[in-house]
Amino acid sequence: MLLSLAFRNLWRNRRRTLLTLSAMVVSAALLILALGVFSGMFKDMLASATEQYYGHLVLAKPEYHLRRDLFANLSVDITNHPALMNEPEILARSPRLRSFGLLSKQLSSQPVELLGIIPELEQQVTSLQNKITAGDYPKLEDRNGAMIGQGLAKKMKLKLGDELVFVTQAADGSIGNDLLIVRGVFATGDSRNDNNLVLVPLPWLQEVVVLPGRIHEVAMTLANPMLAAEVADRLTPHLPENTEVLGWGDLLPEMREVIAAYGVSRMIIVTILYLATGLGILNTFFMSVMERTREFGILMAQGMRPMAIRALVLLETLFLGGIALAIGLFCGALMTLYMQQIGIDLTSYITPITYAGGTILPRLHAVFEVANFLVPAGMLLLVSLVAGFLPANRAARLNPVVAVRED
Amino acid sequence: MDHLFLAWKNLWRNRRRTIITLAAIAFSIMLVQAAHNLSYGVYAGMVDSGVRAGSGHIAVYRQNYLESRDETLHFPDRNLITEITAIAGVEEVLPRLYIPALAQSSRESRGVMVIGVDPQRERRINPFLKELNKNSMVRATDSRDAVIGVRLLDELQIKPGQKFVVTAQHQDGKLHSELLRVRGVIKSGMKDIDGSLIMIGRERAGLLTGSSGSVHELAIILTNSDDKETVLGQVSTLIEAHPGIEAVNWERAMPNLANAIKLDYASQKFIFLIILLIVTIGVINTLLMSVMERMREFGVILALGSKPMTLRIMIMTEALMLGLLAAAIGTLLGSLATWYLVSTGIDLAAFVPETLEFGGVVFDPIMRASWDPAWMVKIAGYVTGLTLLASLYPAIKAGRITPVEGMRHH
Amino acid sequence: MSLIELKNVSKIYRLGNQEIPALTNVSLTFDEGEFAVLAGPSGSGKTTALNLIGCLDRPTSGEVIVSNLTLGTASSKQLADFRLHHIGFIFQSYNLIPVLTAAENAEFTLMLQKVPKLKRRKIVCQLFADLGIDGLEDRRPADLSGGQQQRVAIARAMAANPHVILADEPTANLDSHTAEELLALMRQLNQEKGTTFIFSSHDDRVISQAQRVIRLEDGRLADDSKESQ
Repeated sequence: MLLSLAFRNLWRNRRRTLLTLSAMVVSAALLILALGVFSGMFKDMLASATEQYYGHLVLAKPEYHLRRDLFANLSVDITNHPALMNEPEILARSPRLRSFGLLSKQLSSQPVELLGIIPELEQQVTSLQNKITAGDYPKLEDRNGAMIGQGLAKKMKLKLGDELVFVTQAADGSIGNDLLIVRGVFATGDSRNDNNLVLVPLPWLQEVVVLPGRIHEVAMTLANPMLAAEVADRLTPHLPENTEVLGWGDLLPEMREVIAAYGVSRMIIVTILYLATGLGILNTFFMSVMERTREFGILMAQGMRPMAIRALVLLETLFLGGIALAIGLFCGALMTLYMQQIGIDLTSYITPITYAGGTILPRLHAVFEVANFLVPAGMLLLVSLVAGFLPANRAARLNPVVAVRED
Repeated sequence: MDHLFLAWKNLWRNRRRTIITLAAIAFSIMLVQAAHNLSYGVYAGMVDSGVRAGSGHIAVYRQNYLESRDETLHFPDRNLITEITAIAGVEEVLPRLYIPALAQSSRESRGVMVIGVDPQRERRINPFLKELNKNSMVRATDSRDAVIGVRLLDELQIKPGQKFVVTAQHQDGKLHSELLRVRGVIKSGMKDIDGSLIMIGRERAGLLTGSSGSVHELAIILTNSDDKETVLGQVSTLIEAHPGIEAVNWERAMPNLANAIKLDYASQKFIFLIILLIVTIGVINTLLMSVMERMREFGVILALGSKPMTLRIMIMTEALMLGLLAAAIGTLLGSLATWYLVSTGIDLAAFVPETLEFGGVVFDPIMRASWDPAWMVKIAGYVTGLTLLASLYPAIKAGRITPVEGMRHH
Repeated sequence: MSLIELKNVSKIYRLGNQEIPALTNVSLTFDEGEFAVLAGPSGSGKTTALNLIGCLDRPTSGEVIVSNLTLGTASSKQLADFRLHHIGFIFQSYNLIPVLTAAENAEFTLMLQKVPKLKRRKIVCQLFADLGIDGLEDRRPADLSGGQQQRVAIARAMAANPHVILADEPTANLDSHTAEELLALMRQLNQEKGTTFIFSSHDDRVISQAQRVIRLEDGRLADDSKESQ
């Protein structure tokens, strides 16, 4: 009875209710869209670091990630350590050897970072195979075939099939140098990778730096990247002494903190937007209560208790909040879906932007994240209730004798 | 009295409603102004440290160098430095050579970026060198002293005072090496800088590649960044005598920073837009309510011989007054908030990492606002305009009733 | 020539699909200086007739001519202008503007006519004195009694010195004593200034004071004391 009364009351002043509703829907839907796009940027940023370079989880010698010490190497066998094999979260493992050196072609040389990889395994951890603009991914059989970044190729004016000389310091103290052949070019949009990174077959690099059968790290992919720290903790006791397994959060602490800070700024943005919306709701319900003074008086005169009056007004605001929520979530989801499927390409306006150790790609692209819906939804209901509280109180405190006389 | 007076009185007919609406508009103006001023201040800080460590407010390059970063595209600076320094508003001109190279210690080798600089000038300007005491700086342009990134130092496993070798491509086609000694250490907070930067005297750098007397970049630092376009014009005129050389502003020289600011401000603008949209809907609602409950009165006023247009103007005047009042209060609050943000700022140290890199510069965790009064006035004007726009529908509606209909209301 | 002329006037309102005739074939003329009442029970068409005479509404058929202005052909702007300069209104529920003071309410039509402030204040002060409400100039309508409010309304109607004052049940909300006083006042103004008064009423005491009584029943003219003389 109270429910249907509340519901019908909402539609007495249709125009006013619809306008208030539209303000609530607009704020909820656009907010969800904005949060989805922000999350998309963060996801691009995280992916630029993990899926194009680090992986979600990395096993190496302690402090290897700080120093990249050539001598802090491990046996390649650790890739198939039972602890790693038995961990269900780990989807793929890729052994890597890393070397820094100078890449030269005639009059041009550039400092580069070489990653010696086993192509089939690396492709399960990083996704550079999806970023190839020319040629192919390195193959084990093609002993010294390399894949280089587009920035590097442009700078050194390289094309497929070109021969390059790689010079570095080998583990035995000698100067290692050997020929590489350009077999593929990739472009990630992240200048750090595009200008520096070279992927080569693992055995070739082991030979050049004189570290046969050795690797520096095992990069791994997880089913849920957000669980990286947890999985790392779980693995540590089962791994050999003098090794360290780190999630991307420890490899890129600033990115972890930026993502945590995003949770805070999301709350701030939502709060601010809903304050403005809340004032609109407050206004509407004050008006609606004021013009029904006489009616409330009659209801009270007939024996309705103040609590019930209060409940009636609060129910009305809740109903409005609920309807706004349903429509707002739906529209928000629809727009997010559009931005997820199609998005907006910004390459002609801006270049990729480095941020907290990652790269924000020049595109607007949304992702679905539960919190992006839950936070605006919860806050909207809360705001409706709070904004309904004052008018409800006022209605409940009316004196029936005076109220009935009101015109 | 007349229309203004009547509109003013009508505005206060329903005090609570007007105050709530006023609060909503003023609150959003305050918010938008304060947020903008905060970003304005933060961006100015980022730009300042960005240009000082990077390309300067204005940079001079060989044509195509910016796009290709091809280290063969250097140019002899001759007396350009003196000439440009003489231009009014120029604080300093920093000559720089950028040489990609391989750094080797006895144990490790790393790809690095060797920057050949004028040590005295560079130390005065470059924020990376701020922490460095005088004895840790490169002593002369041709000395073997090097200032290197802290992470690079660690990765090469050497200590200050120890020697290392850098190898780069010489113009003659051979690889050329120079022995250097660590003099000072840079801790910028940016992984790329700390892990790959080596700063040496420009003469020594010139020896490495055979480009002595040449630079890749002249970074021009201005006393006041507002003079950028004027000085850019003067510099462009000056270098006309040197064909193949161009002067560009920092936005072109450092697209990473410019775009980071652009993207950040764009997302902020989107939020501003949502706020203003919501407020406008609220204002329409309020004005419409106020019009609907006065239909009878409007009927009377029309019956007394008022023209519909007079009625419309009256309603729009009410909205204009509401908008102006809200703009005034909002701007006052926005100024107070800005004043607080300018003098105290927001300390985000608890939320963001100590060394958060954004767009190629380190983000200062203490955010401070700067005044942008022109923008504050603009946004206040926009909101007043929006309020007026919001009154169009109610005004048209009120003007359309006939006196008989109006008086039948209630 | 008569001041106001209604020729075979009919007015039909639509309510959904229903047609409700409010006036049917009414012909009437009023001369300058008349003090006439439209009498009849509620729903008899009094208000509709007043609205037509007051140029607030257009007839469905027939012709209404007020001071040579034919209603059917005039634009709504012309009508507004005409009302402003030629017609004064007094309403049953006073209809003063609540945010304005008594004096400001009375000045309202003068304000619309763009009469300078000092001049209109002078006119209104005189009127307030004539109407016995001097001293109440700065009160808000809410602080005035019904009789006082209606006097302010009369002042508002008189201020612009119109040819005709139309009053729709002006005494319906007042006690009989105040009603009589007001009626006497209007009669006095009518005689002193020659202003034409046409009002509607279903109150016999009011009707008995009128110089001319026009009776309406179900939208038709039932009796006109002037015609029957």
